[in-house]
Amino acid sequence: MKKLLAFMLVLVMSFGLVACGSGADKKENATTTAAAKEEKTEAAKEEKTEAAKEEKTEAAKEEKTEAPKEDKTEAETEKKAEDKKEEAAPADELNIGVFYYDFADAYIATVRAEMDKMLDKMGVTYKNYDAAGSQPTQTDSIKSAIAAGANLLIVNVVETSSEDAAKEIASAAKEAEIPVIFFNREVTNDVVNGYEKAAFVGTDAPEAGHLQGEMIGDYLVANFKDVDLNGDGKISYVMFKGQEGNAEAEARTQFAVEDADKILKDNKLEALAYYDENADSKFLVDKDGKWSAAAANDYMSTILGSYSEDQKNMVELVIANNDEMALGALSALQNAGYNKEDGKYIPIFGVDATETAQGKIKAGEMVGSVKQDNVGMAATITQLVQNIKDGKDLMAGTEDLNVDKDVDKIRVPYQKWTAESK
Amino acid sequence: MNSSTDLKKQSFDSKRIVNLLINNALIIIMLILVVYVAVTNRNFLQPASLVNLLSLTAAYLPVALGIAGCIVLTGTDLSAGRAVGLTACVAASLLQAVDAPGKMWPNLKPLPIWLVLLISVLIGAAIGVFNGFWVAKFKLHPFIVTLATQLILYTVLLRYVQMGESRGQSISGLDNGYREFVAGSLVKLPIGKGIGIPNYVWYSIILAALMWFIWNKTVFGKNMFALGSNEEAARVSGINVGLTTVAVFALAGAMYGYTGFIEAARIASNTPNTGFNYELDAIAACVIGGVSFVGGIGKISGVIIGVLLLRLIFVALPMVGMDQQLQYAIKGGIILIACALDMRKYLVKR
Repeated sequence: MKKLLAFMLVLVMSFGLVACGSGADKKENATTTAAAKEEKTEAAKEEKTEAAKEEKTEAAKEEKTEAPKEDKTEAETEKKAEDKKEEAAPADELNIGVFYYDFADAYIATVRAEMDKMLDKMGVTYKNYDAAGSQPTQTDSIKSAIAAGANLLIVNVVETSSEDAAKEIASAAKEAEIPVIFFNREVTNDVVNGYEKAAFVGTDAPEAGHLQGEMIGDYLVANFKDVDLNGDGKISYVMFKGQEGNAEAEARTQFAVEDADKILKDNKLEALAYYDENADSKFLVDKDGKWSAAAANDYMSTILGSYSEDQKNMVELVIANNDEMALGALSALQNAGYNKEDGKYIPIFGVDATETAQGKIKAGEMVGSVKQDNVGMAATITQLVQNIKDGKDLMAGTEDLNVDKDVDKIRVPYQKWTAESK
Repeated sequence: MNSSTDLKKQSFDSKRIVNLLINNALIIIMLILVVYVAVTNRNFLQPASLVNLLSLTAAYLPVALGIAGCIVLTGTDLSAGRAVGLTACVAASLLQAVDAPGKMWPNLKPLPIWLVLLISVLIGAAIGVFNGFWVAKFKLHPFIVTLATQLILYTVLLRYVQMGESRGQSISGLDNGYREFVAGSLVKLPIGKGIGIPNYVWYSIILAALMWFIWNKTVFGKNMFALGSNEEAARVSGINVGLTTVAVFALAGAMYGYTGFIEAARIASNTPNTGFNYELDAIAACVIGGVSFVGGIGKISGVIIGVLLLRLIFVALPMVGMDQQLQYAIKGGIILIACALDMRKYLVKR
């Protein structure tokens, strides 16, 4: 008790110091300390309830894991279906591990929110794992999840530049004889074909780049004179790349410009010109590989420091690998007086069409984006989960969807998103 | 006789010059870099470019100012980036415009800006007190404590962004008054159409002055340096070691909270990635600026120079058309050289 008192005293006094430091008068001191205390207790409460919740769910899971284990040995046999009918709650049998490459990724977070909702509705047990952008972390947590009795894996693989990681995961699943559904970040055909209970749900990576390029080309053809601020007959652009070595980032970076150039050429207009002709790569990349708004914001405000309309070298077009980076660039442009209600306008294109970006597009602050359908993605994955739950084949009932010819890869289509979109 | 003293004097002088050069090596490197970039790319010395360099420095300065205090105590603070991320997301979510798409708290009207600033600073300070408590009470090394805090904070942050209606989306669509308060410009340089200096530059200048005052003119500041250079001596001379430690971390935390408040509006799109790795840049800036891990040594001016130098590298390298990948090696090299030169000074002293 004494110690606690002492600690509280330290707290109070230190806050006094801080408040003094920021030049507040004594009256404010009293209020700030009170506020701080309240916050603390509130935080403590929250932590406690959360801890309690976790304990509960863990306990529940422990109960549940025992059931599927028995079930697993019987997997694939005809008997299973019969057994199921006799059992009261077949929903409890599934124990799903969902492995996300990074909780911090805004688009993935929206997929996760949808997926959580759908899996909850289905009433199955699942657990989400965060790899925080590290493949070793993910591989390890998959192995421990299998050891802990997971009988269905849903994997958003981290490493996309080589197939080894995905192969490792598929073979671990194969060994345990449990199905694995890869999603969003693409794995090779070999990985999916190497195990009959493996599938991939994702997009056609280059498609986003193609659609973005098409949108840019069409927009420029229609508005060339307005976009070409210095009237030199060329559009100078900047490209923000999310990450080095990521297949989607590479494809988007390449095709957005190539396809736009093609359309410009067909209309007898000059191809896009990178804003800095001396640069040895025609993009600026987030050095943390996080596709983040902050990186694009820093780059863009730096560019605006030395490129301007006065000098007739203003960047006339912004292309970003995702909406986060587009929004970061937009914020920098707005800080410099562009893309507000009055006049000066630099077209910005992103990918994902997150709700925030949709708002910006509607408000006219961005031109367009490419919708990566988070609901469609989650729905397709849960459809496969439902198949497993019902004891059907993994790919049952997917004939209507866009499935690759010789491999179990389902493609959720991208859509262009402009101000006219719903 | 005469000639020998002359000789002595001369050699003494040349030695002094060499020492002077070495002691100010960093500023000299910086000047050479500036001249080189300015010659290669005329745009660099344009007022708009200089204002940009100034604003980037101002944006990254407060975290460094906070961490510098922890380093003076021979510690460090790894939780800075996540603290910035958390306070940025909280500040942004409390100040989303009423009509923001995917608004986190749909029924919440934007709070008064000063209140959100206060909340951010208090959250930051609370994190700092938490760090300081473990360091002071259990004599744990700050590296360990703040590493733990960093991880704990990330969970809190991930949970927070999943709350409300935003369901993990980036927190954006901020209240216009808030954006203007931070990134708008009250003062415009009368060049061309007018080059706005963002408001947060002024706030950073005020903060730097304030920190200078705290470090140099208050009992607390003196205690901090005494504690940093020799804990036993400080204890014997009657300094409350625990309290001072907690206060230093709390002050640092308050700085992170402030930075979160600023970053939220500056970047205008907030995810759990906000603030990622800020602590590493800040620590690098501090050691480059001569805040020594030996403890008890450091100046506010050094911290400012450190931050400025790092931002200069960020701005200047692309301007001279250098490969972006070289950036890291150059940063690393400068950190090494700066610290080696720094230690050399103290090795000579001993």
